[in-house]
Amino acid sequence: MTRRSVGILAVLLAVLTACDPASTTSIAAQGLQRGPDGWHGLPLEVERSLPDVTLLDTEDEPFPLVDELTGTPTLLFFGYTSCPDICPVHLAAIASAMESSGTSYLDVDVVFVSVDPERDTPERIDDYLANFSARMIGLHEDLDVVGEALAALDLPGPIVEGPDPRGEGDLIGHPAQVIVFDADGEARRTYPFGARRSDWIGDLPRIVEEYS
Amino acid sequence: MNVAFWCSSEPGQIWTWRYTPFLGVWAVAGALIGAYVLAHRRAGRVLDPAMFRRWCFGVLALFAVSEWPLGQLGVGYFATIGILRYVVYTFVAAPLLLSGLPGWLLDRWFPLDSTRGRALSALTSWPAALIIFNVVLFGTHVPITVDTLKVWQLGSFFVDVLHLGAALIWWFPAIRRERARGAIQEPIRAFYLFASSVLMFVPAAFLTFSPLPLYGLYELAPPLWLGFDPISDQQAAGIMMNVVGGFVLWGIIAALFIRWAKENEHADTVAKRERDARTLARMAAMAPASADAPASGDAAGGPVAAAGGAAPGDPDDPASA
Repeated sequence: MTRRSVGILAVLLAVLTACDPASTTSIAAQGLQRGPDGWHGLPLEVERSLPDVTLLDTEDEPFPLVDELTGTPTLLFFGYTSCPDICPVHLAAIASAMESSGTSYLDVDVVFVSVDPERDTPERIDDYLANFSARMIGLHEDLDVVGEALAALDLPGPIVEGPDPRGEGDLIGHPAQVIVFDADGEARRTYPFGARRSDWIGDLPRIVEEYS
Repeated sequence: MNVAFWCSSEPGQIWTWRYTPFLGVWAVAGALIGAYVLAHRRAGRVLDPAMFRRWCFGVLALFAVSEWPLGQLGVGYFATIGILRYVVYTFVAAPLLLSGLPGWLLDRWFPLDSTRGRALSALTSWPAALIIFNVVLFGTHVPITVDTLKVWQLGSFFVDVLHLGAALIWWFPAIRRERARGAIQEPIRAFYLFASSVLMFVPAAFLTFSPLPLYGLYELAPPLWLGFDPISDQQAAGIMMNVVGGFVLWGIIAALFIRWAKENEHADTVAKRERDARTLARMAAMAPASADAPASGDAAGGPVAAAGGAAPGDPDDPASA
């Protein structure tokens, strides 16, 4: 085999391994682009309201979503505390942006609803949210009630995706977006995974100003 | 087993401690060592153990920060480790590789009268090297470059090649001693290195003082543990570039300066000894002649030589030159 053919073979091997689908991603690291309306969050095409369900807070007190969250803009997110990627990234970005933009948790409710009632005990949810901000609201309930809330928002229910490669139980598939509701309980914007702090810092003051 | 060519960022990819070999890293390390040994064998030269050790340590440094896990952690998860990779490429691997390269091998790979040799001379003239190094430093740390190229294995490889190439070009005039190849002398050498260390503070300051994460791929990377947020990571990266990069560089500047001072001192001592020896030899040679000469003496001879003056045209004496 000549030196040239060895070289060509090496380049081909490099290109082939570099094209391994596991190495590609559909998530853009540049974050959300500012839309023509000046928002980073995407506008919702269809009308959706806060689901009319009652969940439990971390003290196991009933928490009717409509009653508790109407009157203040709300960031609603469905996730679970063992989530290795989407949940901690979203919550860290929101917590950091709230602080950087000087947005008070009195002006915007940040609500985390667990889709993993088996593992997410109230204490565990509390401990988990404390990593980001103790002012976030953690909610839980049986899967059928949580599923009802998801269905009301046209979001898919949680599914078990298989074992967590870190060896921490199962991975659970869940909606990856944060939904913003205005003070009347109407869904206005959605923030898919990939929203960065800068996106939230740009939008949070407008959420307070326009959706209160 | 998952295999890849080079480390790259995969936003959303959960980190696991499952080994992923990077074939490109193994191939590059093997090629570097193989080419070195083969070149010696072909030239019929014996490997100089000290130089070969430096070359191998340089390759080892490259390998350690490019292979799993540091390569993957640095490209996809932590800006701090990303900067550590840059620091090792630039301030450890590149100078070790250059100082492990014998002059004859450099002449063989880049003959002075060849196009390659001339290109090398042009790139490594110190003003060009300073510009190239800093353009690469700034260009490859701009967020759009990092977020665009490092999510792609060949892009990430390209960035690493740029880092190593720019570092080799930058170190070349400071480490190599061949005057024909544009080696710079002290104290310009110390100034040259110091100027670069000062310029490096600029991107380091951006990292340290930016209130927001600059790089999306680190911000959106699944965290290995909760509580270490991307801003802390970025600040640590800036400090790493400043402190570790600065200390390593200043350490090297100090070492080069001390070596230069010692060499100068040694050269002075040798020159003084030679001068003294010559003076003694002249005095010894003149002693019988002066004994034969009349007491009034020859005004053009002895007293000048005895005082250590040089005969006109003495090629060893700088004063006569």
